[in-house]
Amino acid sequence: MNSKARARLVHILISKSIIEALLIGGVAVAFFFATTNPYFRGVLDAADKKSVTGWAVDEAQPYSRVEVQLFIDDRFAAAAAADQFRPDVHEAKRAGDDWHGFVFNTPALSAGKHEARVYAVHSNSSGARKTLQLIGKPYRFSVE
Amino acid sequence: MNSREATRLKASEPAAGITDRSLAAWEIVSVVSSVLIAEWILSASAGRSKLVVAIPVTLAFTLIIYSHVLRGETARELGLRLDTFLPALRLLLLPMFVISGIALLIGYLSGARLDFFRWHAERLIVFQLALGFGWGFLQQYVLQSFINRRAQSVWGQGAISVLVTALIFSVLHFPNPWLMVITFVGGVVWAFVYQKQPNLFALAFSHGLMTWVLVSALPPSALNHLRIGLKYFG
Repeated sequence: MNSKARARLVHILISKSIIEALLIGGVAVAFFFATTNPYFRGVLDAADKKSVTGWAVDEAQPYSRVEVQLFIDDRFAAAAAADQFRPDVHEAKRAGDDWHGFVFNTPALSAGKHEARVYAVHSNSSGARKTLQLIGKPYRFSVE
Repeated sequence: MNSREATRLKASEPAAGITDRSLAAWEIVSVVSSVLIAEWILSASAGRSKLVVAIPVTLAFTLIIYSHVLRGETARELGLRLDTFLPALRLLLLPMFVISGIALLIGYLSGARLDFFRWHAERLIVFQLALGFGWGFLQQYVLQSFINRRAQSVWGQGAISVLVTALIFSVLHFPNPWLMVITFVGGVVWAFVYQKQPNLFALAFSHGLMTWVLVSALPPSALNHLRIGLKYFG
C-alpha cells in the first residue's frame, strides 16, 4: 500500500473513531434524560418500627402525584403515591398543593439496625422503561 | 525545500511511522469496536427504534470496503469466486459431520427434542436455510475477507492468525457461553479453510447449515435463542 493510500486509511480510521465517540456521547446524554427526572425533589423525614414518612414532588409538574417505593435494607417493601396531606411543603413553595406527603407502614422487622430508602418512580415517555431515583437520603433506625 | 522541512512535513502526515502491520491491527480493533458498540451500547439503549444500531454497522462496512479499495484487494482475493468452492467444501465436510454428530449426541443425551423448525418456527425450511446462508455470508465476509486477512497481515498465514480470527469471532458472541465455545470451534475451522481455499460461498453454506443443525439439535436453553451482548440478559 502506498503512503497516500495509507494516509487516507488513517484518516478514515480517525474519522470513524470520532463519529463513534460522538454517537456514544449522544446516546449517553439521551439515555440519561430518558431514564432520569432532574425535577424530583423530596425528603425522607423519619423512619421507625411503625412508619416511614416524608414527601416527594416533581417540580416540573407540581400538581401531579409522584409514585414512590420503599426499600428496607435494600429489599422492596411497599409502593404508594405521595398524596398525603403536607401543607408545609406547599407553604415552602415546593409543590402546587398540600398533597405530596407519603406514609408507609413499616413491615415487621427483626431487632437491630435497619436502613430505609424511598425512591421516586420515573417512567420514560413511552412508559416502557421505569427507573428509580432516591428521594432525600437513606434513613437509619433501630428496632428493639 | 530543505531536509528539515521535508522531515517536518513527513511527520505531520497521519500515516507517518505507521507500519502495515499496525494499520491492519488498528483496522481489526476498529471493526470489532463497532460491533461491540452495536451489541452492548446501542441495542440496549436505543429503545424500540433500532435504527441507531445501523450507524456503527454502516461505519464498519464503509471502513471495510474503503480498506479493500485502498489496499487494491480484488473480489477474487476476498473469496468471491467459484473455483475454490468444491475444494473448500471438501475441507469443510468432515468437521461439519463431526460437529453435527456431537450436537445430535448432546441433544439426545440431554433429552432435547430434535426440532428443525425451532430457529424460525413460522418459516419454511428452505427460507430458513436461505436466511442462514445470507446471514452467514455477511458474517463470513467480515470475519474472513477482512479480519482473517488483516490478521494475516499482522501475524502471517498460519495458526496464530487462525486462532486470533476464531477468538475475535468468539468474543463477539460474549456472554453466551455455549455459543462462544461453538463459534470458537467454528471460527478455527472456517479461518483455516479460508486460508487454504478462500471461498465465501462455501463458508456461508457451512455457516447457515451448521447454525440450523445446532439450533435444531441442542437444547434451547443452551443457546438462549442465539442472544448475545446485553440482549443475552433479557
